[in-house]
Amino acid sequence: MSTVLHTHARPGTPEFEANVEAHAALVADLHARQAQAALGGGEKARTRHTSRGKLLPRERVDRLADPGSPFLELSPLAAHDIYDGAAPGAGVVAGIARVHGREVIVVANDATVKGGTYYPLTVKKHLRAQRAALENRLPCVYLVDSGGAFLPMQDEVFPDREHFGRIFFNQANMSAQGIPQIAAVMGSCTAGGAYVPAMSDETVIVRNQGTIFLGGPPLVKAATGEEVTAEELGGGELHAKTSGVVDHLAEDDDHALRIVRSIVGTLPSKPDAPWERKPAEPPTVDEATLYGAVPPDSKTPYDPREIVARIADGSRFHEFKAEYGTTVVTGFAHVHGHPVGIVANQGILFSESSLKAAHFVELCDQRGIPLLFLQNITGFMVGREYEAGGIAKDGAKLVAAVSTTRVPKLTVIVGGSFGAGNYGMCGRAYDPRFLWTWPNARISVMGGEQAATVMTEVGQPEVGAQLKEQYERQGHPYYATARLWDDGVIDPLDTRRVVGLALGACANAPLAPRATPVFRM
Amino acid sequence: MFSRVLIANRGEIAVRVARTLRRLGIESVAVYSDADADAPHVRAADRAVRLGPAPAAESYLNVERVVAAAVASGAEAVHPGYGFLSERADFVRACAAAGIAFVGPSPEAMALLGDKIAAKAAAEAAGVPVVPGTDSDPARPALTDAEIVDWAAGQQLPLLLKAAAGGGGKGMRVVRSLDELPEALTAARREASGAFGDDRLLVERYLERSRHIEVQIVGDAHGGAIHLGERECSLQRRHQKVIEEAPSPVVDVALRARMGEAACALARAAGYAGAGTVELIAEHDVPSSFYFLEVNARLQVEHPVTELVTGVDLVELQLRVAAGEPLGLAQEDVTLRGHAVEARVYAEDPANGFLPSTGRIVAYREPHGDGIRVDSGVAEGSEVTSSYDPMLAKVIAHGPDRAAALAGVDRALRDLRVVGPTTNAPYLRALLARPEVREAALDTELIERLGEAIAVPAADPALAGLAVAALLGSPRSDDPWDSLDGWRLGGVRAPARMRLDGADGEVSADAPSVGVRLVPGGLGTEGEGGVARVVEVYPDGEAVWLVDDGVPSRWAVAVDRAGARSAGGSLDAPMPGTVIDVRTEPGATVAEGDTLVVLESMKMELAIQAPADGVVADVFVATGDRVAQSQPLVALAEGGVRDGVGISDTDPRTSEVPA
Repeated sequence: MSTVLHTHARPGTPEFEANVEAHAALVADLHARQAQAALGGGEKARTRHTSRGKLLPRERVDRLADPGSPFLELSPLAAHDIYDGAAPGAGVVAGIARVHGREVIVVANDATVKGGTYYPLTVKKHLRAQRAALENRLPCVYLVDSGGAFLPMQDEVFPDREHFGRIFFNQANMSAQGIPQIAAVMGSCTAGGAYVPAMSDETVIVRNQGTIFLGGPPLVKAATGEEVTAEELGGGELHAKTSGVVDHLAEDDDHALRIVRSIVGTLPSKPDAPWERKPAEPPTVDEATLYGAVPPDSKTPYDPREIVARIADGSRFHEFKAEYGTTVVTGFAHVHGHPVGIVANQGILFSESSLKAAHFVELCDQRGIPLLFLQNITGFMVGREYEAGGIAKDGAKLVAAVSTTRVPKLTVIVGGSFGAGNYGMCGRAYDPRFLWTWPNARISVMGGEQAATVMTEVGQPEVGAQLKEQYERQGHPYYATARLWDDGVIDPLDTRRVVGLALGACANAPLAPRATPVFRM
Repeated sequence: MFSRVLIANRGEIAVRVARTLRRLGIESVAVYSDADADAPHVRAADRAVRLGPAPAAESYLNVERVVAAAVASGAEAVHPGYGFLSERADFVRACAAAGIAFVGPSPEAMALLGDKIAAKAAAEAAGVPVVPGTDSDPARPALTDAEIVDWAAGQQLPLLLKAAAGGGGKGMRVVRSLDELPEALTAARREASGAFGDDRLLVERYLERSRHIEVQIVGDAHGGAIHLGERECSLQRRHQKVIEEAPSPVVDVALRARMGEAACALARAAGYAGAGTVELIAEHDVPSSFYFLEVNARLQVEHPVTELVTGVDLVELQLRVAAGEPLGLAQEDVTLRGHAVEARVYAEDPANGFLPSTGRIVAYREPHGDGIRVDSGVAEGSEVTSSYDPMLAKVIAHGPDRAAALAGVDRALRDLRVVGPTTNAPYLRALLARPEVREAALDTELIERLGEAIAVPAADPALAGLAVAALLGSPRSDDPWDSLDGWRLGGVRAPARMRLDGADGEVSADAPSVGVRLVPGGLGTEGEGGVARVVEVYPDGEAVWLVDDGVPSRWAVAVDRAGARSAGGSLDAPMPGTVIDVRTEPGATVAEGDTLVVLESMKMELAIQAPADGVVADVFVATGDRVAQSQPLVALAEGGVRDGVGISDTDPRTSEVPA
């Protein structure tokens, strides 16, 4: 039955205070890096940008969004420490904003970062945002200010399935599915980039600022000898009055954003949510004590109900199979009024815990309740007894249930994310609608020490030592988030809000009919 | 005494008369026009009779209808208030004919004293000093323009033209040179005719920097007449009283007695029964040399200051006299206690040439406290229209001395809440703060002379941010998407930003991120030095009103308006055709919608119009030219208008072309 959780954490104890200190230090570092990335390009690039009367990408998002509304940004640390740090945020701001009361996906190029050109991770981030739009049926707003592909890396940007061209493929297909595609050209929109506005349902351009052309003036001159200014070649007047590539001519950034808001205001209302949102209530357990209640080291065991108690409405939890398969905790709760089925690890997965979790996922699937995975898993149990007991097929049942459920899945990696545990607990490959990482988390196929031990066992201790260092580096959340293995590293204290916002975004898409795979029995 | 009295007026005076009637146990009957069906003066009375449509000529100024209302309601008497029919002898006679008592002087006394020319003669006869002027022989009151010009020729300037009927500054003109006289005569006659239906004028010497001091008199039908001291009303703007006080700070006991006796002599000579005011002007530095100005044969707007210092209810005295009772009050019974100051609150915009301000009163609250009196005729929801006088309320303070009364009226003006139409309350406070006012160095031209030195403090620039917070309000629901704290990842917040239409036009502002919280009725904010204050918030549809230090300002989210775009760029031929007319030239100033070029194309005439106000930079075609589609016809200079903000120096409607 639904009970109100309480906490075992004791503020003032050395353990509690040490936890607080460790989390606080990690979050401070995270926020510092995010603040740095949010600046985009260097001081000079920003000054050049703003001196032309242009708004910075975050200012554009802020003015597009309803005043005071939240912005659920995706992967603000994309490309962190990659490309020699040349592309903070991968040169693009993406996320979910509230516009005219609608949740919309916004993708805003940052022209202060290498002219807004697309690095491989820029493409990945743009496509990731489009996937969020597609899965949650969110209208897309592209605030375009980009020179197109980053030419030195064309091999990683241009040719493959998940490369630049996919952006336009997605636009056409989302439009075909009735997901509005809206663009505002607020700067360059060159070559392939020209298709972003051209492929949009409705497009705005800023006079004397936005340009759209397949080939810029230098390319035209090289190709045909024709000398032409950017404005003549593809400026707002041309496209609004002559070519018809755009539909609205704006006087400046602010005006363009008002036009986009007006366009969003013309969209049909969003569909009814597939589940009922009840009045929200704050947890009865003080959310602010989360740092102290959760050991930052994933090797230190703790009760995941300490997290549930701090994110669930009223700290209420209807736990399912509390007495069975106790290394996984399952149960129903509400977060900001949205119903959720929570699956949280409390140790490694055994057959019983796998079966319990699979059963619970099926319950949520049948009832149309979104799933929230609180992932802190070193893996499935190994050993002769367990293999003989069929842990592989029981794990497979969980993986199959997670893979095929029709309900939205949200994953928060709150500790370790290792091996097949990552699969069963809805890692990135299992299409959670959103996946976030806490700053204390680690993610790799196995722990570094474990990998070193395995290599030593197979007679390669030097490789083992190297792997240990490599795994620890690559398992770090910054390494992960830089590569878009997640949607961002979040302050654990933001978890409740982030999950609530994400569930609100997920509620824009209807649930598919149930479809069940063959479960190996 | 009467048992039922009709109040032939509206607004604050009707409410005020009803108050005394109620206290005396007399039934009150209000009259109203269609615009006033729900007005406070209707609610203040026991019953009410509709007069007609909003225009005063068809309602409050219509003798026939008002008398009919009195008859229909069974009223025994009519109290006319001030203005409207209060000084119309024909109305008094119509009442008498209908057997209804008129609360005011007899038609004869009214005709004598209400007429400025006749009154001046009567005053002179009664021994009251008069200002030199056109002959005050009531036998031939209708002076022609030529007669006035002739008289003026030998006089010391400046001169003052006045309407023989009525007051309130209407029909008044100061003439400083004889050249101005003919034009002033025309204007004064037109105004007098419009306001009183009587274009008779008189002219007299105009005393510069004079004080306006007036004596309240009451006479009864038994030959009794007393005065209730004087009021000083020197603070006037364009002959309209703004602030009045009693007693005058420059009148001592002896002078008061001299003025009072002169006024009573006049009243007795005229057989005056009722309340009236003998207006005097006095040299500002020698108040003992005073002259007769005119008699107002009715209750004055500013009568409350007299009531507060004498403790006498003038409306009660009026009613007793009208009912034939003796005054019951001897001159020695009248004593003055303390000092009273009245400020007239008008719906007008001092920052905009004192133009009348209209609209719905969104919120209304009166100040109260020891010695504070407010006579008002409006309430929350009242519609202030241009049909009637823009005075909304009188704020009056009584204190032991002048300084206390001034302080009281200042605080009362700050606490008076009129949200909606702009009022002169902040201006009045700025005026009260002037040293000339505090030191009683008054004359009737002081306000004109001070001009913009009567400075209303500028609005706090932080108000725009507070307006954003107020417009933002509270979250619509507990859905985190409805939260309004600008939440962002990374431990930062984006302040809520809005484009607003405020009092000073369009402005973008951020809601303050700290130091502001919603409190009952407004926003609690910490100003400089941590001094907390509450800015009141009043919702008004999509807009909000903020009231800071008593001053309301309206804020709404700015809207984009159609046609509000740049005129810059070229106008191109929409179709191929022939130019059949060119109606502009380079350098011409054009307004939105002006036809610049006419094309004939496919047997149709196409007018090429200016998309916005602007200036023509170039014209590329001439009549007879054949043009291709998209061929430029006219170039317009960059600029023009955008977002509704006009550039006045290129706007032909507001700029003057130098000769």
